[in-house]
Amino acid sequence: MRKKALFIDPGRCIGCQACVAACRECDSHKGRSMIHLDYVDMGNSAAAMPTVCMHCSDPVAPCAQVCPVDAIPVGTDGVVGTASPELCIGCGNCVHACPFGVPKLDIPEMLQYKCDLCYDRSSQGLLPMCASVCPTDALFYGTYDELVAKRPNARAVDVFDFGNQSVVTGNALVAPAGGEDVIPGGYSVWNEFLSEEKV
Amino acid sequence: MSDHPTTRSAPPADSAALAGRLRAPVAGAAVALVLTGAILAGSRNLDNFDVALLGYAIGTVVLGFGAAYRTVLWAESPAARRYLVRGWKAILKPGPGLPKSVVRRTALSTLLLQRFIAERSTARWLAHQGLFWGVISASLITFPLTFGWIHFRAVEGTESLYWIYMNGVRTISVDALGSAGWLMFHGLNFSAVLVIGGGAWFLYQRWSERGNNLTRFGRDLLPLIALIAISVSGLLLTVSSSFMDGFAYQPLAFIHMCTVVLTLVWIPFGKFFHTVQRPAMIGIHLHKEASLASGGSLECRVCGAEIEGAVFVGDLQKTMAELGLDYSGWVETCPACKRIARGASYRTDVKAGF
Repeated sequence: MRKKALFIDPGRCIGCQACVAACRECDSHKGRSMIHLDYVDMGNSAAAMPTVCMHCSDPVAPCAQVCPVDAIPVGTDGVVGTASPELCIGCGNCVHACPFGVPKLDIPEMLQYKCDLCYDRSSQGLLPMCASVCPTDALFYGTYDELVAKRPNARAVDVFDFGNQSVVTGNALVAPAGGEDVIPGGYSVWNEFLSEEKV
Repeated sequence: MSDHPTTRSAPPADSAALAGRLRAPVAGAAVALVLTGAILAGSRNLDNFDVALLGYAIGTVVLGFGAAYRTVLWAESPAARRYLVRGWKAILKPGPGLPKSVVRRTALSTLLLQRFIAERSTARWLAHQGLFWGVISASLITFPLTFGWIHFRAVEGTESLYWIYMNGVRTISVDALGSAGWLMFHGLNFSAVLVIGGGAWFLYQRWSERGNNLTRFGRDLLPLIALIAISVSGLLLTVSSSFMDGFAYQPLAFIHMCTVVLTLVWIPFGKFFHTVQRPAMIGIHLHKEASLASGGSLECRVCGAEIEGAVFVGDLQKTMAELGLDYSGWVETCPACKRIARGASYRTDVKAGF
């Protein structure tokens, strides 16, 4: 993971949408919210899942790799940027190749948008907008040591399992201490679900 | 016959790698040679070539080399290669599902009118149209002149009439003092005004907009500065010749040439390369449209929402396989279901019941 990263704890998320609104306020986002907030099992559970770009480091940014016009910049600090407006042709490759379901596509504009860690802020040492407003610290921005100092029983996991492929990321999910070193990316859930459906 | 076994038994992988390394420079050299040949032929073995414009011609040949070199490197990536082939096939052989009128409309709307920029912002669109048409018109005027394909000769016994020669062949005469002649000889000035207007707007935006600490000098500002420098120095040539009796014309001409040549040589390696990439990819949406009509759409395995055309998704899966991204089955699930699945996994396997 990055030295300073977003640590996401879905267990703390109350689904208040403050991050969604704050994301819009970022100067480089200009009114567009890049974060996703999904309710995992609406009606049966209060569970909410905030999703920001995880800034994949291994394999490096699959979204950028599948981009046919090299529109998605990957910085030396590991931050995967939003698509360059002059290059992006709006093909949608990145949208579907992202294992986390992050990029958004504006088809009339032929332009992809995605979380860039509020780079105009985070590159200056400021918090990304989502982390700056999250009332429960479900989105915590800082170093791993800062996270553990605040939550001694927590650990951060930056490896996700997608079947045959593991993806190592720049941001991380917070998990209870003592669990697995790899977090399921969801791939197996649907595979099991679909195979049960077939049966 | 048997003296050089090592030479004969060089592993195929090495020769393939060598061929791969040579592809870009060879393509660059071929384009540079073709361009040079076209200059020689069009100027009748340099008979009609204006030596004062030699720097521009050399800059353009170097641009041809660089653009072809970079294009080959770019097209080697699996996604680019696949879409270039698919896109151009859709343009050249549209098929029954894609009328030629759609191809023409797409070219007009995307390539020339750039409506997608208007969707982003009307002011941005106007500014880009200024830059675009300014650069296009200037290129159409300048390149034939610098290559010696078009030149002018005074009509004997007249004050202001000129013959226009194209590829060495005399065509029509034009009165430099007439309205048609005035428009023709001031074409580059109109181009310059368009470029300065568009470039200035973008520069102001870069300068004044919030979040502009992400603006990079080399990537975002220098291209605009280069275009404006070309245009201003070009306009100053007219000012010098028309209003100042040619004051400082030679130094200005040298400065103008430097700005143009440096920009030409730089085009393949910076932001300007989008002028190659975007037109080259013009067919990708036509391909998506045609393949959706012929191959149907692919629905999310979980929620049933339409993801994309089945052919498009198949192409993406092939691209991912080539890149060693071994989760291409995941592409058949829509982004929202991917996120919810990850949340569900977290809830059951990581932090039960969160």
